[in-house]
Amino acid sequence: MSDFEPKIIVFLCNWCSYAGADLAGVSRYQYPTNIRAVRVMCSTRISAHIVLELFKEGADGVMVSGCHIGDCHYINGNLFTERRVKLAEELLKLTGVEPGRLRLEWVSAAEGERYSQVITSFVKQVKDLGPTPVLKDPKLATRLEAAVEAAKSFRSKTLTSKEVKLTGKGNVYEEVLDPKKYDLIIERAIEDEYQKSLILTLSNHEARSVKELAKEMGQPTDQILDHVVALRAKNMLALDHIEGTTPKYKAMVGGA
Amino acid sequence: MSDDEKRIGVFICHCGSNIAGFVDVPAVTEYVKTLPDVVFATRNLYTCADDGLTSIRESIKEHKLNRVVVAACTPRTHAPLFQGVCQEAGLNKYLFTFVNIRDQCSWVHMKEKEKATEKAKDLLRMGVARARLLQPQEEARVGVTSAAVVIGGGVAGMSAALSIADQGFPVRLVEKESELGGFVRQLSSIYQDRKDAGSVLKSIIDRVKGNPNIELFLNSEVTAAEGFVGNYDIVIDTKGKERKDKVGVIVLATGTKEYIPKGLYGYGQSPNIVTLTEFEGLVKARKLPKMSSIAFIQCVGARGQDKTYCSRICCNVSLKNAMNLAENYKNVLGLEEAGAATEAATPMEAPAEGGERRRGRRGRRGGAEGSEEETTLAGPKLEIVIFNRDIMAYGIEHELTYNKAREKRVRLVRYTPKNLPQVSVEDGKLVIDYYHETLQMQRKMSPDMIVLATPLTAQADAKDISMMLKVPVGQDGFFLEAHVKLRPVDFATDGIYVCGTCKGPADITEAVSQGIAAASRACIPLARGYVQPEALSAYVDSDVCSGCGTCIEVCPFSAIRKNEQGKAEVTIAACKGCGNCGATCPENAIFMNCYSDEQLLAEAKAALQEVKG
Amino acid sequence: MEKNESSVLVIGGGVAGIQASLDLADKGVIVHLVEKEPSIGGRMAQLDKTFPTNDCSICILAPKMADCYGHPNINVWTMSEVVGLEGSRGNFKAKVLKKARYVDENKCTGCGDCLEKCPTKGLPNAWEQNLTTRRAVYMAFMQAVPRVAIIDPEHCRFLLEGKCGVCKKVCKREAIDYEMKDVEMEFNVAAVVVATGFDVWDPTPSTEYGYGKYPNVVTAMEYERIINAAGPTHGHIQRRSDGLEPATMAYIQCVGSRNLKTGHPYCCSVCCMHSTKESMLTREHIEGIKSTIFYKDMRACAKGFNEYVERNKRDYGVEYINSDATVQGQTEKGNPIVSFDIAGKSQQKEFDMVVLATTLVPAKGNVELAKRLGVELDEFQFFKSSDRTLEPISSSRPGVYLAGYCAGPMDIPESVAMGSAAAAKAMEAVVQREVSQ
Repeated sequence: MSDFEPKIIVFLCNWCSYAGADLAGVSRYQYPTNIRAVRVMCSTRISAHIVLELFKEGADGVMVSGCHIGDCHYINGNLFTERRVKLAEELLKLTGVEPGRLRLEWVSAAEGERYSQVITSFVKQVKDLGPTPVLKDPKLATRLEAAVEAAKSFRSKTLTSKEVKLTGKGNVYEEVLDPKKYDLIIERAIEDEYQKSLILTLSNHEARSVKELAKEMGQPTDQILDHVVALRAKNMLALDHIEGTTPKYKAMVGGA
Repeated sequence: MSDDEKRIGVFICHCGSNIAGFVDVPAVTEYVKTLPDVVFATRNLYTCADDGLTSIRESIKEHKLNRVVVAACTPRTHAPLFQGVCQEAGLNKYLFTFVNIRDQCSWVHMKEKEKATEKAKDLLRMGVARARLLQPQEEARVGVTSAAVVIGGGVAGMSAALSIADQGFPVRLVEKESELGGFVRQLSSIYQDRKDAGSVLKSIIDRVKGNPNIELFLNSEVTAAEGFVGNYDIVIDTKGKERKDKVGVIVLATGTKEYIPKGLYGYGQSPNIVTLTEFEGLVKARKLPKMSSIAFIQCVGARGQDKTYCSRICCNVSLKNAMNLAENYKNVLGLEEAGAATEAATPMEAPAEGGERRRGRRGRRGGAEGSEEETTLAGPKLEIVIFNRDIMAYGIEHELTYNKAREKRVRLVRYTPKNLPQVSVEDGKLVIDYYHETLQMQRKMSPDMIVLATPLTAQADAKDISMMLKVPVGQDGFFLEAHVKLRPVDFATDGIYVCGTCKGPADITEAVSQGIAAASRACIPLARGYVQPEALSAYVDSDVCSGCGTCIEVCPFSAIRKNEQGKAEVTIAACKGCGNCGATCPENAIFMNCYSDEQLLAEAKAALQEVKG
Repeated sequence: MEKNESSVLVIGGGVAGIQASLDLADKGVIVHLVEKEPSIGGRMAQLDKTFPTNDCSICILAPKMADCYGHPNINVWTMSEVVGLEGSRGNFKAKVLKKARYVDENKCTGCGDCLEKCPTKGLPNAWEQNLTTRRAVYMAFMQAVPRVAIIDPEHCRFLLEGKCGVCKKVCKREAIDYEMKDVEMEFNVAAVVVATGFDVWDPTPSTEYGYGKYPNVVTAMEYERIINAAGPTHGHIQRRSDGLEPATMAYIQCVGSRNLKTGHPYCCSVCCMHSTKESMLTREHIEGIKSTIFYKDMRACAKGFNEYVERNKRDYGVEYINSDATVQGQTEKGNPIVSFDIAGKSQQKEFDMVVLATTLVPAKGNVELAKRLGVELDEFQFFKSSDRTLEPISSSRPGVYLAGYCAGPMDIPESVAMGSAAAAKAMEAVVQREVSQ
């Protein structure tokens, strides 16, 4: 495993973390060569689906780094970053890819040394996990594809984006939600979205029965049936044919 | 996307040996030539030197480059230079890509030349992938209505209006009351030099009234405001009469009101228990009763008692009044008749002993703060006590006044929240029971008057104004500036500014400074005559947008609104391109001009290509 | 930019001067920003974090420094000072002396090759509060703007003895220029903004605190550098005597201020808050550290400050003791012994480290600068405003405006606001000049 050189994508916000990474250079703090940095204006730009897409494409690790909480150049963008990375992490867990391949860090413009330490430790962490299993396992790739779609879904995007407001300022009735409760709501919604996306991904090319889907996904059949009913109602899944007595469903291309 | 042929030129910098010493630059250059759409690649000893810049300029022409990539130090210091050169050579500066191979490559991998070279190749591949997807951008230039409205005619608002006017722009100054002057109108004197508040106010009011650039709206309120920086449609309501107007910028200076200490320290139980501002009013009207002792209680309803904050000015206002009573008390009490106002003050003898001891405090062993105060009452006519938690005599003048007060016969008794002074009214007689921290014993006094120093609080209409202008208020109810350190008079929303006590307790001088500061900020778009943000803004695909409004909630700059079709629309002039809405949009209808999903993914995925083989 | 050709002179490139310059430049006015140090940034660039939000100081300042230096309407003159001012509001003639840097600002890329090779080592690094050393050719600090090296003519062997020349040899950009001379420049300006900041009072002469005698007594400014991730100890909190991490710390307030003996009877306005901040941040660096702040009055009197202090007590366990305090010796282990009073009883306690909240004083150069500018100073040598109540921005000379700590004690947001306000007053002078022409 020692000659394994992971490829890790790091997203750096322009104002703090990119400056911190530059400071590491100016101060000549050395760190492993495995990271490839992408600069964005604010870490908040990084949607969960971008992270998941990179895992699908074979990244061994992904890191998102922004200003410390309270330091955000755009006031509170990094609060949203926190929620988005959490969403990506939840979905990653559902697919079976090690969540240790994803990391969120806050690095300030003064923390050049810390940046080099963070990178060093993350590279080690990913090295210890070994090469990404995604490229060798088409099933994982399928699941990641479903995770990408789940991350893009209306529900997960809305929930992650509203969390800052609802657990901070409160809703229209000025009720402030308990963050733990909200976490639970999100967790359930994400799992739900993920399973639906996976059903669609699995039945994209070939028609599948509820039983097949349940087996493939390792979920109880009644739960899958619920999702199938819901997806059909939204015209996202259609009955393709009946094999014996078993109906087989196929995803509607383009949805509606 | 345009399907023009992409012609990418790549310039790789040696930075002397700073890059070339640790990265095989010639190898990287040869590699880059193999990348799609790269029609030219070269290396320079210093790309930022004249010859390097010339090579970029000439290559753009010679090779008809429509994308330029420079791999060098860091965009944070050098991107503007290279963008400028591209621009000069006729290439839109948004078609320029910077690849950082020094600060984030050669300098951090100084012992691994081979791997650093591999990384540099990857970084270039990523840069080229990004460059291929870049589109030229035009920076939108939006015209500005060359006028301002200042809401609030107190000292801060008047200062702002005067400076905007003196910088050459017409100002509407809108005041709710029938007179200018705001909070200061209630005061008898200003603590700097204890000048008469009325005459201080008059000097500034006269300047406002005499300024031809200022149009005054008394008994008026701004009841509606729509638009964005440089272009606001507002309605000014004067006793039911509405005037529609256009302004470029808005300055908020809506002031403050004093906290009413209901249920605290016997307030309301005796006419001789008053708030600090009520006391000022009595002094101003010369209606103070005759008395032989007076107590001020500080931090009433503040610093955790009800409001969490410290109101900054009340210690100094109490000290001023205490000094005034000590030095000038006959006049203050109204014992002198009208003509006596001009009579010289009759300062009280300073008890030299007490002052001396006070001075010698530092470094003295034994005896803590307060112990000597018991003895500073040698031959007083009027006993003055200030119960305080900490005296906020910050800066120069307040501290000097504080020193003087201690040298006079003003007793300063410290209390802690654990042992609040207790006020009771017995047969119209006021009694204060208090714990003396230094003597560690319970004491009693019976002042003729008790003055409760209560904090300044947010105006009742602050919330409504905040909703109307979509600017935030903080937990304390005061308006919340864009950044507490570096943007003290800006709101995050461009074009709206804030000053004076509506953003937190401040004294008259601070209100003046903030007012003029807000004028400076507000005049920037007015002086330029246009706003032209970097073309980093978000775009909404209105065919995809469902009008859910989630993006509007997350935008920290109020740069998104719903249009007549109920669809989200970005106000380009107000957008700063952070990308929060882009990552948020549940319909994936928003894309970021220079940081689209496509561009980010192309750049990042390019790093993975070799791995996939 | 297009319409104004008027200029304004801004003296001092700290946060107040930067803000004044940016406001003016954004309105199309040409700004000459004169800074006596090799980099702009001022005191704020030295601080670790800022209260009450614990924002990283350089993180929020660096973009402003870069904007300022890169602004097409701002000419930043580092290593420069104003030597004369003639004329009147609207039509001043300012003389500026730019001292030789011996490094060409247009050629130096800030690569640092010369810094590594210079043989003259071990010179005190004043920017790092002399906690580390620099060489004869050096960079003002890591995030300096401009990022250009500078040669210290008092220690450079070539400049002193004509021998060495190593930096010139290693500089491939040929940026080293030993022949560089001081240059005097003249600018026509409509107004002048003075924003020269403050000095930190040196507590060495004051015997009550043992500074200079006991190595584990440090000043707050030294501590800002010690706790800073980019500082001389990389943010590791270490005692000067043995490099060990402290487990107990004391902060003594009002060192040199509110004190007639030192000539600074005023309150410096910021040290209650920076000690609160430093103790809070220390707790984030060292789990379980016990900190005590000895104070006279806890002046937490601006937005969010009182809440910040309360949070420090509640969540960070920092103890606040209302007492004067002095350092009256040290133990064998080098622990300073702090004397203080509780309820009139004298007490002594040893701490692993003591931070002195030393007062901030008017810059040494104020007297000379005031003479050159023809403006008055107050009794403490801060720049005096023409009217304390309504004209805090105006100096005693029309057309010369004040911003930041040089006009009296204030914190960063007040300095920034005053920087903007001074820009507004200067802009009024520019506008009125143009109208009258």
